[in-house]
Parts: sequence; structure tokens; C-alpha cells
Amino acid sequence: MKNIIVCIKVVPKSEAVFFDPVTKRLDRTKAENQINDADKNALETALRIREKYGGKVIVLSMGPPFFEQFLKIAIAMGADDAVLISDRLYGGSDTFPTALILSTAIKKIGDYDLILTGEESSDAGLGQLPAQIAEFLDLPQILFVSSMEINENKVMARRTIKGGYEIVETEIPAVLSIELGINQPRFPDFRRKRWADKEFQLKIWSNEDLRLDENDVGLKGSYTSVRRLVEIMPASRKKIFIEGTSEEKVEKMMEIIRGKLS
Amino acid sequence: MTEKSIWVFLERKGGDVEDTSLEILGKARELSDRSGMLVTGILPGIIEDGKLKKIIHYGADKLLNLMDDNLNTYSTDLYVHSLQNIVKERMPEILLIGATPYGRDLAGRLAAKLKTGLTANAVTLDVDDNGILISGVPAYGGKIIAEIVCEKSRPQMATVRPGTFRPYFNENRNGEIIAVESNTSGITNRVVVKERKISEFLDLTKSKRTVIAGNGTRGDLKLVREFADYIGADIGVTRPLADRGLISRDFQVGSTGYSLRSEIAVILGVSGSEHFTSGIKDCRTVISIDMNPKAEIFQHSDYCIVGDIFDLIPKAIERMKVKM
Repeated sequence: MKNIIVCIKVVPKSEAVFFDPVTKRLDRTKAENQINDADKNALETALRIREKYGGKVIVLSMGPPFFEQFLKIAIAMGADDAVLISDRLYGGSDTFPTALILSTAIKKIGDYDLILTGEESSDAGLGQLPAQIAEFLDLPQILFVSSMEINENKVMARRTIKGGYEIVETEIPAVLSIELGINQPRFPDFRRKRWADKEFQLKIWSNEDLRLDENDVGLKGSYTSVRRLVEIMPASRKKIFIEGTSEEKVEKMMEIIRGKLS
Repeated sequence: MTEKSIWVFLERKGGDVEDTSLEILGKARELSDRSGMLVTGILPGIIEDGKLKKIIHYGADKLLNLMDDNLNTYSTDLYVHSLQNIVKERMPEILLIGATPYGRDLAGRLAAKLKTGLTANAVTLDVDDNGILISGVPAYGGKIIAEIVCEKSRPQMATVRPGTFRPYFNENRNGEIIAVESNTSGITNRVVVKERKISEFLDLTKSKRTVIAGNGTRGDLKLVREFADYIGADIGVTRPLADRGLISRDFQVGSTGYSLRSEIAVILGVSGSEHFTSGIKDCRTVISIDMNPKAEIFQHSDYCIVGDIFDLIPKAIERMKVKM
């Protein structure tokens, strides 16, 4: 097995993102960041494949310099190497330029057999990046994967479809998106974390390295834009607490259910 | 001169069309009435003639049928190839696709191929006076809706969350059915399906009564199912339960699962995160049981019962047994 590249996104915890009704903007300042959950499942998948078939696990992310600390967590979990793509030019990129930038970096890393991503991110939840990376790299794609194994130059995977699943096979290299929650991501190793913090040299690439046309990245290279944000008001509910013994509660509950059913 | 049109990708469900695609046709019909754009269904593969006509009844003005047996089942490579050809040739203003697993597999890649903007998992759709599609997408666990537009490229693409819109139906509608030649013989399908398993599929979005289980049920779906059966309800689960693999994701309720429109929803042992509650906001009556009197779920419920599910639910089942 050659390189296994795992694309990870750093996202704010959505519980701590607030909507400011006056400015109509999101306040993310109070939100802690974390590696997107499904991307951790993708990383865990990659580490298990390496244990079985060898290869090198490289994590790849795009964002501001402070994302470095999250890539170091991935290193502490067991990734061999990490690349952070960071350039102001890339700010404001929607999926299309993001896929272009990531796939350019993937080509620069080179020598890959597998590209793994999480199925979607918890902030925007679009889930269209893996298919677009696959298109830019001209590779086959298998999305919503719940398990996979390698047979020589082929990958066999189980993917979720509407109402069930399919077992599919394709030649590597290939792009796969991993479903949230399919495995238990390992904890970062304490000693490895110390090493990652003190000695490990993360690669930081800018457009000097990727050499993309300015018009193809960032806001200029994006095809979509946010026209407005709308807060979703919770439905107004009666919030009637049913009191009494458990028998009385059951009695009342069944009455309500029966009343609504008739 | 080419007429402006809204295209709806008609996903195959064996020899039929997916419900999601018909729902989107209904919405497209409404957008068409407002914008003057025509509604065109785009159907890959061969299907019975009678079913083609039905698509017109569901709201299409035109139906483009890609006549190619290789398209009867989904393949990323073959579908992307055929659709990009016809889209480039006829260039619709808008292209809508159901946000099913196949639909999402197709849409991302097709948008990259066509170099155009794609919005994913829309729950609202509108067209402004300039013919710009406004797609509302829930973000941050369904706390906000971001209204996304694609102004500088065509087609404006969006995938639409299943169960969001209601189908339109009128048996007296007429429309044009156009057979389009499609040739995929030179295209290699790189992802080969070895096995396909589809279970009896329940469409939660159409469920009238639903019992939803969360972590508080400790994953005891047998008990939940027994209770649901007695009140004639379908069952749903929260994401953590689906993540544990106890039941397929087709039963998952919330921002990453399905949104319910049930007359009555009974919610058992769910704490009530935003991810979850966005999926029950359209239910008529919500009854919740949880141990924790301060559980967030009670803020989203009409009737709140503080108590132990393993005490209350067996008692409820006993009572129903007696009454029968």
C-alpha cells in the first residue's frame, strides 16, 4: 500500500455557534474547534488499513495557521505526516475551489492509493467534497462507506444506499467517503503528542507551493454565495408536564395518544 | 432561441421513479408557475410507457428520456457522462436532484464536471425575480438556514432533502415526452456492484405516528417496537442509536436524518440536541418521556413526562393488552 491521504476539516462545535439577529451573522467566537467527527472515523479507517496492509497515512487540511494544533492531534493518533494548506488567497472558497486546492495538494503529495474523507462536515454538511476531489483527480469514488478492505489492487467497500447497502469494488487509487460513527477513533497517544508538539515538523503549503490561478480560488473561484442567513425558530409547544404516580402518567399519556388517533 | 427551464433529475427506483424525485417535480411546478420557466424531467434508462406519462401528471411540461439500457441502474461514471452531455447541449437554468445517496454521489461530481455551483440538502427552494434559485440549507445542526445562490454559472444546481416537498398530481396534464439517444458504450463503469441489499423500506417522512428512541432506551428497540406496534406507530431513532448500528439510517430522525411530519410523535429517552429537534418541529403533537426533568427535549414537547421508560412503557403495554 502506498500513501493513504485523509482529508480532515476543523469545525466549530455547533452547540457554541450563535446567531446574531441584529447583524444576521454567526458568532463563532465562543465556539471551540474540533476535528470533524466523521473525519476522525476516516482517519481511524486509514490507520487500520495501514496496520493491515502497510503504507503511510498523511492527513491533509486547509485553513488558518492555528489549525496546526489539530493536525498534531491527528499525528498523535498515529498519522505519519501532515500537510496544512494555508493561504489568505484561499479564504472564502466554496466546495469547488476547495476541491481544486485539495486535489492539487494531493497530486503534490503524490504516490497515493487511497484518498479518504468523512461523509460530510458537521458545520455545513454538504458532503460534496469527496466526489469533486475524485473528479479533479479522475479517480473512481465510493461514498458513504461503512466498511472496506483491500484485495491486491482493488478496494471492496460496503456503501449505504437508500433503504440498504451495496458491496462495490473498484481499482485503487480511489476516493472513499467514510460514514460517521462506523468505528471508535483511537485517543491521541500521550507520548506521540509530546513528540508532535516538540519535534514534528508539519508541512505548511501556500499558493507558492500549489501555484493555482488566483481567479480559480477563494471567492473569485467560487460559484455559490450565501445571500442571507435565517434563524430557525423552534416550534411553539405546550410544554405541559404530566404529574402523578407512574400509573397515572401512563393513563394520561394513553388518553392523549388515543385522543389524537381517533 | 432556447426556452428557460428547470430540470428535475428523475432517480430510478427499479422500474419506477423515486418518491423524492416526484416531490421535487411538485416544487418545480410551483416555481415554474411563478417564474415562467418550464419544468423538464430528465429520466435515465428505459421504463414502461405508462410510467412516462405519469411523470407528466406529476408536474413536468417535458420529459427527456435517455434511451439507454445501461442507465437502468445507477453508475457514477455512466450517469455523469450522459447527464453532462445533455446538460451542456440544452443548458437548463436550474437542475434539481434528490439528496439520496445516489443523488448526492451524482450531483457533486456532475457539478465539478460542469464547472457550476451546487447547493446540497436544500430544505427550501425559491426563485427570485431574476430567475436566481435560492436554496435554503440547514447549517450548524439546523440552528440556521443559509440561503445559497449561484449567480455566475449555469445550471444552478441543488440537491433537495427527501420528504421536504409534497408531490403535485393532475391526471389531465399534457406534456411532451422526448426520447433522447444516449450512448454510453465507450464509457467504463469503474465501480462494480457485487451485491445489493435493500430491506423493506420505510419512508419515515410519511409516517403518521412515530415512536422515537434515544439513548435513554439503552438501545432496547424490542421494547420500543412492541409499544409502537400497540399504538400503530412506526419507529425512529436518534443519531447515536443509528451510529451504534442497531438499526439502519433510514430510521434516523434529525438534521442528518429525516424530518418528521407525524400527527403524533412519542419520544423516549432523548436529551434533545438541536440536531435532533430540527427533525420533529413539523410534528403536530409531541409527547416526551425522559428521566431528567431539565432535559432540553421538554422544551420541544407538548406533553412532558418525567420518569423511567423501563417502568412506564411496560405499564403502557400492559394496559393496552388488557383493553384488547
